[in-house]
Amino acid sequence: MGGERLKIILSLTPPLLIIFTLFFGGIFYGFLQSLGYQPAIGKYEINFSAYYNVMFSERYAKLFWTGLGLNLWVSFASTFLAAVFALFGALAIRKTFFAKTICNFIYSLNLPMPHLVVAVGIIFVFSQSGLLARLASQIGLIGSPGDFPVLVKDKYGLGIILAYIWKEAAFFFIILMSVLQSLGENFEELAQSLGANRWQRFRYVILPLVMPNLFSASIIVFAFSFGAYEVPALLGVIYPQMLPVMAFEFFLNPDLNARSEGMALSIIIAIIVMILVVFYFWLTQAKIRKD
Amino acid sequence: MKIKLKFLTLTFISLFFSKLVFAETAPGFNSWDDVVKAADGGQVNVYMWGGSDAINGFVDDFYGVPLKEKYNITLNRVPLKGTVDAVNQVLSEKEAGVTGDNGNIDLIWINGENFWTLKQANLLYGPFAAGLPNSEFVAWDNPAVNLDFGRPVEGMESPWSSAQFHFMYDSARNNYDDMPRSYAELSNWIAENPGRFTYIRPGKGGFVGTRFVKQIFFELSGGHAQWVGPFNQELYDKWAPEVWKLLNSWEKDLWRGGETYPKDNAEMHSLFANGEVDLDFTQSPRGAGPTNTAGTTPPTSRAFAFYENMIGDFNYWAIPYNAPNKAAALVYANLVLEPELQAAQVQPANGFCCGWGISTAKVTDAAGKAAIAEAQNNLGDAAEDQDILAKALVSDIAAEYQDLIEADWEANVLLK
Repeated sequence: MGGERLKIILSLTPPLLIIFTLFFGGIFYGFLQSLGYQPAIGKYEINFSAYYNVMFSERYAKLFWTGLGLNLWVSFASTFLAAVFALFGALAIRKTFFAKTICNFIYSLNLPMPHLVVAVGIIFVFSQSGLLARLASQIGLIGSPGDFPVLVKDKYGLGIILAYIWKEAAFFFIILMSVLQSLGENFEELAQSLGANRWQRFRYVILPLVMPNLFSASIIVFAFSFGAYEVPALLGVIYPQMLPVMAFEFFLNPDLNARSEGMALSIIIAIIVMILVVFYFWLTQAKIRKD
Repeated sequence: MKIKLKFLTLTFISLFFSKLVFAETAPGFNSWDDVVKAADGGQVNVYMWGGSDAINGFVDDFYGVPLKEKYNITLNRVPLKGTVDAVNQVLSEKEAGVTGDNGNIDLIWINGENFWTLKQANLLYGPFAAGLPNSEFVAWDNPAVNLDFGRPVEGMESPWSSAQFHFMYDSARNNYDDMPRSYAELSNWIAENPGRFTYIRPGKGGFVGTRFVKQIFFELSGGHAQWVGPFNQELYDKWAPEVWKLLNSWEKDLWRGGETYPKDNAEMHSLFANGEVDLDFTQSPRGAGPTNTAGTTPPTSRAFAFYENMIGDFNYWAIPYNAPNKAAALVYANLVLEPELQAAQVQPANGFCCGWGISTAKVTDAAGKAAIAEAQNNLGDAAEDQDILAKALVSDIAAEYQDLIEADWEANVLLK
């Protein structure tokens, strides 16, 4: 009995140590810095002025709130659309057998691609000097490449959303395929024999079955896209600016005092994501219990 | 006991005098010979922006070889994505309590904001610059040298080379003679070529854009001279509204209608190379030469400058407080100021980006003078006329303007 317990403790200790020192240690240290505690430049006072500055000062308030709006819009839109695309993709090819392997391969090809590469790819293809713009002007659809609609580095974050859909749809797809595969077709055949039409089979049979996995994948994608830096840095405009990019600008500031603001903004991002994730979790748990 | 006391007194006296005699030598060393001896057989870890193969090659060939042969020092060049990476590493080392000679970085290629970050946090070794024998070639009385982005250098970094703001155009698309030569002419040019111009957003990481806007202050206010010296809020308040008015009047004719702006050199170059805009910025006295060689601008790109108010500045080498081999770092910082190596860095064929770090007039020996003369006659056709550049040269101004312009530009131009 005692040996069992020791074994469990011993095997749990290394991962817990890593989690505590790296994750909580990092968060704690970041939080301290956000409160203005920076021994490297002789600042030991603790206060919330960095938070106030970021959210309410004349200098940053407008940037912050527009940035937050853009963040929410981009994360919700890209998570939702990527999930929808992946769902229909998975439903369409799970039954066809002849090109299934190839389709599968093509759909999941994006998965190992770094976000940075996808973002650069989006620039090459969709920017005003990109492939599509040149092609369209070449065949006379538009007068010059400059007439091409602004899809990259645009105010509404379309390029960023596009990159996330492109990238995250593959992630959703893999998860959905594995669920659908393991379900088999029995449920659907049963429903069909009971007279359910195509829409009813989707709405009342498939969707409830994949929903839990779809939801948990959405949480991951949402949290990632809310806090990620590289895609908005490459594909975003300088105003409105997504919050992670704004946070990084504070770190670029040669004035070391600005690091407190950068850290405060990072902590704000983390808190917002955590609140949304908890809310989302609560919502899905309630829904699953109800079903 | 008595002998011991006598010995101690003697030591103190000699220490006191050595301090006086070698007041200029870098801290921790008694003489330059002492430095060279301590550096013998060591390794110097040089952290520098590594985005240009030509610059990397130049450092390896022109510094690595003589360091090994003359001083028995091994050059270990560590390429960085941005200088701020080295700054953050030193900062982390300080926070982790890495002191003495236990750091990793011996030298950082640095200027402006990054230098200020390290100096502000007391993370630099020095003052050492005046203690280098070749410091005699440096124009320390020039505010463009002894102030870095308007902030005092105070011997905590030693110059390497220089740069000056001016413009590039593509000779395949435009003519040299049609290029604007002042901000007033640029205004007309923008109106006549809607959508073909933009500038780098003034802000962190985009100091070239800040510089572009600073120069407007000089032109509108009728000259650079009144801006030299300590920060003057009144003067700024008088002219800032005029500058924002001018920039806002351009907006509708800028690239993308001024809805967004490129945020650094790389974005600006790619807009120019893709043909989305017709003008680009350069900092090199060789004009479009370095970017043409690197392939970031079209090979037909050429340089031009306004006739007035083109800000020039210097870049430097700094030594972190915990550099593992300070002696070798000093030898390196001294070596790069050798007149013949300075001439080599200006020669286009050698691939380096920038201009003189020394004042060429201070060089008196024949070999150095010959090398300088040859380099000056050989800048390549992608460069602007050096006389035009020299006549337009002005120094940067007090550091306070930098932050103010960046914040106010955001409020009055971007967010308005």
